[in-house]
Amino acid sequence: MRALEAVQPLHLRYPELGTAPVPIEPYISPEYFAREKRHIFKKVWQHVARVEEFPNPGDFLSVELPASDASIVVTRGHDGAFHAMHNVCSHRMNKVVYDERGNTRKLYCKFHGWSYDLAGRLVGVPSEGSFFDLDRAACALAPVAVDTWQGFVFVNTDPEPAMTLAEYLGPMYAALEGYPFHKLTSCYSWQTVVNANWKLAIDAFQETYHVAFVHGPSIAAALRRDKGGSIVPIDGLCDDYHRRLSIAGNPKSVYGNPKAVMEAAGDAPASSGRPIADAALRLGRNGMKTTFDDSDRPPGLNWTNDPDWAFDINVVFPDFYLSLRPNYMQAYNFRPISHNQTLFDARVYYPEMTTAGGRLYQEYMKVALRDVLLEDLSTLERTQAGCETRAKSHMQLQEHEVMVRHNAWVVDRMIREGEARER
Amino acid sequence: MNGLGTQLPAAFADLEPYAAWGHATETARNHYRIDRTQAEIEAFANAMLPRLDAICSYLDAYPLAALPADARRLYDMLLCVAEVSPSTEGYHAPRVPYGYDSRRFQAQEDFPLRPRF
Repeated sequence: MRALEAVQPLHLRYPELGTAPVPIEPYISPEYFAREKRHIFKKVWQHVARVEEFPNPGDFLSVELPASDASIVVTRGHDGAFHAMHNVCSHRMNKVVYDERGNTRKLYCKFHGWSYDLAGRLVGVPSEGSFFDLDRAACALAPVAVDTWQGFVFVNTDPEPAMTLAEYLGPMYAALEGYPFHKLTSCYSWQTVVNANWKLAIDAFQETYHVAFVHGPSIAAALRRDKGGSIVPIDGLCDDYHRRLSIAGNPKSVYGNPKAVMEAAGDAPASSGRPIADAALRLGRNGMKTTFDDSDRPPGLNWTNDPDWAFDINVVFPDFYLSLRPNYMQAYNFRPISHNQTLFDARVYYPEMTTAGGRLYQEYMKVALRDVLLEDLSTLERTQAGCETRAKSHMQLQEHEVMVRHNAWVVDRMIREGEARER
Repeated sequence: MNGLGTQLPAAFADLEPYAAWGHATETARNHYRIDRTQAEIEAFANAMLPRLDAICSYLDAYPLAALPADARRLYDMLLCVAEVSPSTEGYHAPRVPYGYDSRRFQAQEDFPLRPRF
């Protein structure tokens, strides 16, 4: 086990990130966003769904990816395989799917009736004889690369992705494989279009410096403080794309107790001074349909083996945030719409509850999270507006905001590399 | 409504004055909460708190997916206790102070993996 003091300062471990103030321009510039689209969002793997959203052959999902200039359809074929294609009919470019979700045998264009199978092959053309040497094979829906990792469905709109999904995620996240994603089947989700840049939005979730202030009345007491009273991460990891933070909790709190409702009934928890929290914890015991044990903790989880560990934050570049706890996870997408608009799609996945007390506990945790997200969201539009005043040209970042720095650095590096390739 | 013009199981007749808190979705529960006064929220929480153990025992006699209408109303009130917990135990206000408008942060009630009850 590594003591907090023994962890090398992150700015020394990742010297390429530097320590200088970070420019604001990339958060407010339409021109910079156009470069991000070209060199990042049209090149990388992007999370769009869980496999459990497609339980049956013929299930489909349509996804708008504005930063990739793409509208995508993901389907599950009769063999269980996933397919993804552009939602653009080969005839005169109408959408072949209008609904967000559904189940179908074929994809029909409602404009002139062209039809495609679940893999995107053209299978029906009304009045086909009136066309001129129509090549059905060439008129398949334009394919999009699709693959899954641990039950998460990713797409890549690059016609020839530079890396497989496994190559992209493996170096950082292979050590998380085996986490019990499949046991977390009760999902609550919320969406909002927030008037903020996608980087600025995700940055508000990848440091703990804000917790004592933004979350003072809610969950600040659920996280561990250092000797100086600061909430700092246990450790952080960065690679060429992705980043991770490990966070310690206060096991005396409901929200920060990783063993909540997992222990056998009998040993009553200490009173927290929050009677609904105490009741939820007490009545929630043994309310879960499933159980968790040591085999549900892959080595990449709590990688420092900190005894107070509460959760890890995993940012899958560019816009997927996956926070893993012993018995639930949060999965957020910060999908860019424009340089100052982001679709925030927030999901929390819990195990299924089978008792009323179990549901009370789950509802308590969910409502607490939702209101915490309202706290986080409250800063975004104010911050974006502040950036757009250009009152300041740079922001000041400290040691424990290294992930904000890393985000800006990766984005800028990928743009520079992409532009160098095009010269 | 059962035959006596009440909405809750007879054993919980004392909670009838609060039956209006029994909304079936998170969206409805949240909107009901943020449109109440803090005094109304505290009164509901204080009425429900001493009854939570009895409520859970009563409801666990049924599968959650097959609650009779009066028990379902009681169950929805139970979940509303969780809904108001940030108001009574954190913010001491109906809404998140300085928070983002929850009406802009829409729960996806029809998301396929969302529990139906």
